Amino acid sequence: MRETQAYIERIKRINRDRQRLELAVDQSLSSILPGQALLVRRIEKDYEAERWDPYLRALWFPVEAHASNILTIELPANEQFVPGQLLSVIGPVGQPFRFRQKLRNILLIAYHSPPIPLLLMLRSLLERQASVTMVLMGSARQYETDHLPVEVEIIIAEDNLTWSDMVMTLGWADQVFAVAGPGDELKYFADIMRLMRERRNDVPVNYAFGVLQRPLPCGVGACHACMLNLSGSKRLQCVDGPAFDLTTLRLN
Amino acid sequence: MAIEIVRPGKYSLIVSTPVMPAAGTLGFADSYKGLIDYEKLGALVTNPVTVDAWNPAAGTRMIPLDAGVLLHTGLPNPGLNRVLSRNRKAWANLPIPVILHLVGTTVRQIEGASSLLDEVDEVAAVELGLSDGLEAVEALAIVRAAAKMEKPLLVRLPFYECQQLALPVAEAGADALVMTAAPRGTARDAHSGRLISGRVYGPLIKPMILRMVGRLRREIPEELPIIGCGGIHSPQDARDYIEAGAIAVQVDTATWAQPKMLERIARDLGGWIATRQKDALLDEWNPDMGHTEALQRRVTPPSANADTT
Repeated sequence: MRETQAYIERIKRINRDRQRLELAVDQSLSSILPGQALLVRRIEKDYEAERWDPYLRALWFPVEAHASNILTIELPANEQFVPGQLLSVIGPVGQPFRFRQKLRNILLIAYHSPPIPLLLMLRSLLERQASVTMVLMGSARQYETDHLPVEVEIIIAEDNLTWSDMVMTLGWADQVFAVAGPGDELKYFADIMRLMRERRNDVPVNYAFGVLQRPLPCGVGACHACMLNLSGSKRLQCVDGPAFDLTTLRLN
Repeated sequence: MAIEIVRPGKYSLIVSTPVMPAAGTLGFADSYKGLIDYEKLGALVTNPVTVDAWNPAAGTRMIPLDAGVLLHTGLPNPGLNRVLSRNRKAWANLPIPVILHLVGTTVRQIEGASSLLDEVDEVAAVELGLSDGLEAVEALAIVRAAAKMEKPLLVRLPFYECQQLALPVAEAGADALVMTAAPRGTARDAHSGRLISGRVYGPLIKPMILRMVGRLRREIPEELPIIGCGGIHSPQDARDYIEAGAIAVQVDTATWAQPKMLERIARDLGGWIATRQKDALLDEWNPDMGHTEALQRRVTPPSANADTT
């Protein structure tokens, strides 16, 4: 992990709610993998005139990685940025997602959260001929998906968190990755586990992963504010995450 | 430059620069490897360690504030024995002394921990963290128990009881006072809607603790060093603490936002103190001056020697 500088090369509004920033980053970040994130802070022109609001670094999950050291970041449209803005970037933060070797069908779930941490994997999975289904639940149903690759099947869940062919979808998936709204992720992950347990014979180990996106105070494993209880051990979101097996993560 | 940051007696604790991280900000050992050059720091103060393992706090642990943050981590740690066994090797490889932050709970636990820590060569000193709201009698008993240790004992005072405890703690055997732990506060968690209590960090803390340092410097014996801690976010903040009477400073959460700031403060303060001691003009040192340049200024260039002979 290193601290490097990046700058915003381009800003594109992709719909009424979201914008995408193209960041020119250090070469060490061009090989960032799905699951890994950046801790970002704006750089002021005068180092002595450092501004401390916002105080902590923002956690950004890239949604696309391009050749020539460009990373695409997706953010709410109401956050103000300008092209040319310099950023201080710490990364890559966390561990890459652990995909099964023979992954053919993957189910992505976004529950009360935009599916941002799950988007970087799309291109590589589709290139591997994997089938990708994304289910949007809760407030995530408002997330517009027109800019996502057309090969991704999008399912909008009902109010009661169900969707048609739910049993088939859950049975068909080789792996599930879920993101949930920050703050109450564990409660939402518990909902997702309940849904899966009701509709599958079993939920095996290394099948369903919850992806955490809580803000990280330090991001390097120093402050221990992101410590999680897993059955039999304790892990840090910033060092060992962001994805944790939902069968071992204590959701209560 | 060598600065003694504990009072004379026992073993000494000499640091090369009077800047170190505050407990709880840099982890137990080398979490910031690759982001911070540890060699530039005076010492490493570890995360708080308790005799028995402590679990992380349940619920919300961090609330962003305007120019600050409220934290309630519960001081998770695997307990003293495990911290020692897991980190001794890393500590031995660090180029700076290690100060273990021990959480003061009961006299009995501190006595046990003290005798154990005396045997650990990798720990240069112990910083005893006194809990908020501890009765003065209890706090002093804990300090006396810890002071039996052969290693230098720094005592970090709680924010609200700082004024009341400083002098008695000094008399009870502390070799240096760390002022202070971050104050406690309460803020609303936007996600859960609940009020959460924890420690408050940010630049706004500095004026309050700076005042305490200045005031207590006049009240406690001169030979007892004070280490200023709280709200330091720039080299000037650190200089202010030194001017108020601190011999060294601890930088807390600014490191999370700007890891290089810790190193920058260390370089600046080290240089400032060095030039100040030599009666040099303040502007002879600038924060961006590299070590090579600093050394060159102090050593006469060989060509100049040749000219004079």
